[in-house]
Amino acid sequence: MTAKTRVMKEYKEISRSQADEAIELLPDERNILLWKGLIKGPQESPYEGHIFELGIKVPDSYPLAPPAVHFVTKIFHPNVHFKTGEICLDILKTSWSPAWTLQAVCRAVLALLSAPAPDSPLNCDAGNLLRAQDMRGYSSMARMYATRLAAMPQGSSIVEQPHPSSLNTFKEDH
Amino acid sequence: MAEPEAMDVDVEKQPEEEAVRDKKGKGKASKRFEIKKWNAVAMWSWAICTDTCAICRNNLYEPSIEYQANPTGDPDHPGLSIAWGVCGHVFHLDCIQRWLKTRSACPLCNKEWEFAKIEKILPGGGSMGVE
Repeated sequence: MTAKTRVMKEYKEISRSQADEAIELLPDERNILLWKGLIKGPQESPYEGHIFELGIKVPDSYPLAPPAVHFVTKIFHPNVHFKTGEICLDILKTSWSPAWTLQAVCRAVLALLSAPAPDSPLNCDAGNLLRAQDMRGYSSMARMYATRLAAMPQGSSIVEQPHPSSLNTFKEDH
Repeated sequence: MAEPEAMDVDVEKQPEEEAVRDKKGKGKASKRFEIKKWNAVAMWSWAICTDTCAICRNNLYEPSIEYQANPTGDPDHPGLSIAWGVCGHVFHLDCIQRWLKTRSACPLCNKEWEFAKIEKILPGGGSMGVE
């Protein structure tokens, strides 16, 4: 009951101000406890220029318990299980705080994309590349998978800059 | 909160000082001015920097989401109180109580939670018509 009310409040806050252009949060039409998150690969990461979809399930005990978040889009990242999309992120488990919001969670996932933690890998191949300091190997693998598996921005409303020229415009805006 | 207080002190001191000076001067030294009328206006707010409970996201001046969902009418319901931690962060009492069962840390700063004070949101029934 209170989970729905709290999430409704977040929904209103999100609709009022699109605070973060890198994140789009869409509730399921029939169930406010089910969300789709679209996040834009961070600049200067191998995920740049691609959109990744997150599946978000809000438990009835939210916000006392964290939402269950996984990657729907396959992604090559040391802290994301390649097959299941499971994310290894402390704030989604032991370090959860009820002061977080769905938007904050998406921001944390974006931060994870920018700063992978190879010492607790769910994807050992990605982890090993990074632990061997093979940045180029990791980046090219991640970029290759993103190109093959992740959406490009065109179709989505969150980012309309498929061309490098408009990417520059985006940078200047901030 | 600090500002209105400071103003009070400033303004009140002046007439007092005048009076003291009058006595010391023994004579009826002509008053420089006399206060005929005094309209005091006081402003107050909780000494907190945010007015939203970070747990339920309701305003701290109104009951918690939990209380709104199940209003019992009990004036002592924890959803009608707000609680300060020693870290300075504030939540509805029932919100923070339920969180502390999970982890005894402030949701905002992660410091070990310890209650500093608890106050009713609507002292004396208040004007918001909670029934």
